[in-house]
Order: sequence, then C-alpha cells, then structure tokens
Amino acid sequence: MSWSSRIAAAAGRRAVRLVPAARRDWAEAVWAEAREVPPGWPRLAWRAGGVLLIAKEGQMARRIGILLLGAVAAGTAAWGAWPKSSVSLSHGAASQGDVIITLTLLAGLPLLTRRLLGPPDSRAARWLRAGFYVAILAIMPAKAVAEMFVGAVPRGGIDRHTFDLSNSNGGLPVPGSVSGGPDWGGEIFLLFITACYLAVILALTARRTKVAPATLAISARAGLVLGLVVYAVDPLGGEKIATNPWLRGSAADPLVALAWVLLFSAPFVAGALAAQRCHVPDDPGRASIARAWQGFAAGLVCTGVGALTATVLGTSTTALMLKSAWVRGWLYHWHPLTASALYGRELWASEDVAFYAAICVIFPIIGIMAALSGAGYANRPRPQPDSGGPGGPPGPGEPEPVPEPPGGRQLADAGAVGLSALRSG
Amino acid sequence: MGSRSEFSPQTLAVLAALSGQPSAWQHGYALARETGLKSGTLYPILIRLADRGLVEACWQDEPAPGRPRRHLYRLTADGLASATTALAEAEVAAAERAATAARPGASPRRGRGVAAPVVP
Repeated sequence: MSWSSRIAAAAGRRAVRLVPAARRDWAEAVWAEAREVPPGWPRLAWRAGGVLLIAKEGQMARRIGILLLGAVAAGTAAWGAWPKSSVSLSHGAASQGDVIITLTLLAGLPLLTRRLLGPPDSRAARWLRAGFYVAILAIMPAKAVAEMFVGAVPRGGIDRHTFDLSNSNGGLPVPGSVSGGPDWGGEIFLLFITACYLAVILALTARRTKVAPATLAISARAGLVLGLVVYAVDPLGGEKIATNPWLRGSAADPLVALAWVLLFSAPFVAGALAAQRCHVPDDPGRASIARAWQGFAAGLVCTGVGALTATVLGTSTTALMLKSAWVRGWLYHWHPLTASALYGRELWASEDVAFYAAICVIFPIIGIMAALSGAGYANRPRPQPDSGGPGGPPGPGEPEPVPEPPGGRQLADAGAVGLSALRSG
Repeated sequence: MGSRSEFSPQTLAVLAALSGQPSAWQHGYALARETGLKSGTLYPILIRLADRGLVEACWQDEPAPGRPRRHLYRLTADGLASATTALAEAEVAAAERAATAARPGASPRRGRGVAAPVVP
C-alpha cells in the first residue's frame, strides 16, 4: 500500500466519525470497498464519492454554516468589547482578558462537555444552548461600554467632582478620571459566573444528564417571562435614581409585585410541571428521584434564563443609553434633563450593571428551592379512589362512579360480606 | 407504492441490478459497475432503500486475507415486490414514450442520462 493510499485510508477512518452513529456503517462501507476499485483515478473518484457521502450524511453544510455563524457573532462581539486606543492601559488589559477568556470558555467548554456528557439530543436543548451563547456574546460589548463610561471624561464640561463618590461609597474613584484601575476582583467574579452558567447549561442539555426536552422547554419559557418582567422593573440596574422617571412611584408597584411573585412561582410551577411529566413505571423510588432531578433542572434553567434575559437586556439598555441620545430620550419620556442630571443617571446606570451579576447568583438559588418544592408537590402521594377522598371527574375511558345504595356504605359492605359467604358456602 | 414517480431512474437502475440475483448478496463496487453510478450517488440510494426496508445490508463474515470486510446488499421480500412493480411500470412508460415518439409529428424527448433498466 503506497503512502498516499495509507494517508487517504487514515483520513477516511477519521472522517467517518463525523457521520452520526446510525449511518457510520455506510460511510465505512464506501471506504472498505475502495480497496476493490482499480488504483489510480477510479479509486480516487470512488473515495471522492465517499467524502461526498460523509459530507451529506454528517450534515457538514449545516455544521459548517453554524460554525461560521458562531465565528462571525463571536468576532463581532469581541470587536465591540475590545478596548479602543483611548482607554488606559490597565483598563484595556482587563477588557482584553475578559474577551479572550470568555471566547475561550465559549469554544472550549462545549468540547469538554461533549466528551464527558455527550452531545445535545433534542431541539429544545440545542435552542437553549444557542440562546445562552447569543446572550453571553451580547453581554460582552454592552458590559465593556458600561465599564468604560466611569473612566471616560463626561460630555459637556461637567464638573466631575460633583459626582465624587469616594466619600460616600467605599473609596470609588472620581468619575471621568483614569485613576484607580480596573476592578480585578469583580472581573474574575464575572468570568466565574459566566463559566458557571455555561457549564451548567451545557451539562443540563447534554444527553447523559437525561433532562427531558419538555423540562427544558417549560422552564425556558417560564424563565423568559420572569426575565422580561424583571427587566421591565429594572431596565437600568437596581438603582432607582437611574430608572426614574422610567417608572415612577405607584406606577411601578404592580410590576414589582408581579416580579416578586414570578421569582418564586415561575420555578415552582416549572418544577411541578417537569416532575409531573416524568414517568418511571414500576419503581416508585426511582420515580421520586427522577422527578426531583427534573424539578432541580427546571429550577436552574428557569431562573438562569430569567436572570440572563434581564442581564442581557438591562446591560444592553445601559450601553445604548450611554451611546444613543434617542434611547436616552425614550427612556426618560423626552423630559428635558440638564447635562449634569443626565450624566448622574448615566453614571448610576453604568455603575449599577453589577446589579445583574447579583441576580445571576441569587436567582438560581431561589429557583432550585422553589422548583424542588414544586417537584415535591407534584410527587406527593395522591389519595386512592376508595379511601374516602373527594375524587375528581372521571377521565376519558374511566367508568362512571356507581351511586351508593340507599343506606350508605354499610349496606354495600354487608352485601359484599353476604356474597362472599354464599361463595364460600 | 408503485406509482410512476416513486423511484428516480438511478434508483430503478439499482433496483434492477439487485433484482437480477434477488437471493445473492452483492457488494457496492459490483453494483456501481453494473449501474454505471458513482459511489457518491450509489450509496445514498442504497441508504434510502435500506431506510424504507427495501434493501438489507450486512458485513461480510470472512473477508479475503489482507482485505477489509465488505458491506453486502440484497433486496428484502418487500423490496423485491416493489422492484418488480416499479420496473414493470418503467418498462410500460418507456414503451409509451417510444410509441409517442414514433408518431408522425411528435418531437423526440431526451432522457436524464441513465440508461433505462432492463427488467430481468
């Protein structure tokens, strides 16, 4: 066998792995058959047909398309987040490190998860992964814009010392100055949260963790609602100085109440529904564990999606507010604000982006507890039909309940005893 | 099953080749030589036929010394019935086309580049 044939055979064996397991025999068949084809052009043509088969059955066009789309999205996000020349060296180093580590996580963690836990095996899992990727990529440039604002010189000759926070708030530098450097601890914490979110969602959507597609779909929808409501309450972080007059006084109260209710009820309901749909026949012990697992996953996904939705929308709104006069006008209902008042709001909003990091930590903790309660509620022992419980209407295919005979249950029991006596006699 | 548009001319050629020896296992290269199809066309057709339960496939038990095992194919009972019906219909259609072309004033129609299969 010539060296070129050896290389072609080895490349073929490697390429065959790209084909899904159910189709791999066919790709291997083409490669095995190539040995029977006369050497030279006929054999090369035969192998070229094998490559076409692998490309078609391995859905290579789709895979390459997704890869290119991901690369373009990552490149755009990195370009937006990459520090410009006007940024100080230390702030620039922090932003560069942030971009490089986030992109490394996005590229490396899926490969690691695939090896350890298998690929995603449902449409819901793939969509959820794609959503998390889009959210993390969108947060990158928005966060960079918000972080850079504090160090940038304000527009319109505003007296920076009016906003000197160092006396009131733990030694923060004067806005608009480049002193103080980046918050390295904060950067590392945010990267840690990003890594945790990615790892958890990749694990929960992998084949071997066995989270049902219905669990992912239910909890993602509930989380999306939760995130949208939280964003409507806090579109510019949790600081009300920045959001005023977006939501004023009692106008916000129903929305705030709804956000609190949803924070607990959305994961509870998602956990209960996920557990209810989990069926493990003939083994109550395993069924309880499986339901608890589905509930746990539902809680994490629901509150994770909720926190990430609020974060990506809130951080993006803050970044747009800092960049666009139209967004500022829209946020403040076109109220005329002095340059100084506007700068104050922008400063509070950009400082308070950290609020979203806090909800990214707190929400999943609440979510797990609420969803496990929901799963426990769905898993509770139900009263048997003959135990005297009120019971519900008969389901489809169930017999209609027989009315009790006059005299109540005692007569019916007496009749049953008499019948058994007749049988035994 | 058995409608005129169900199988492409290439698929009919594969069915004709397989139905020539319905009980014998055949390998890919022999089918390619008999049908004139390239591997990139032949194998997707075999895959679709196997998915529909018309072709069964297995690996060779005892390969020749120094040779890899070969993948073998033959028609299932359903496949043989479908092939017989489809090839008979293709033959009728070919005869109709020939008769139409022979009429005075009829314009000749060109095929798709694959020879019409010969029904065994």
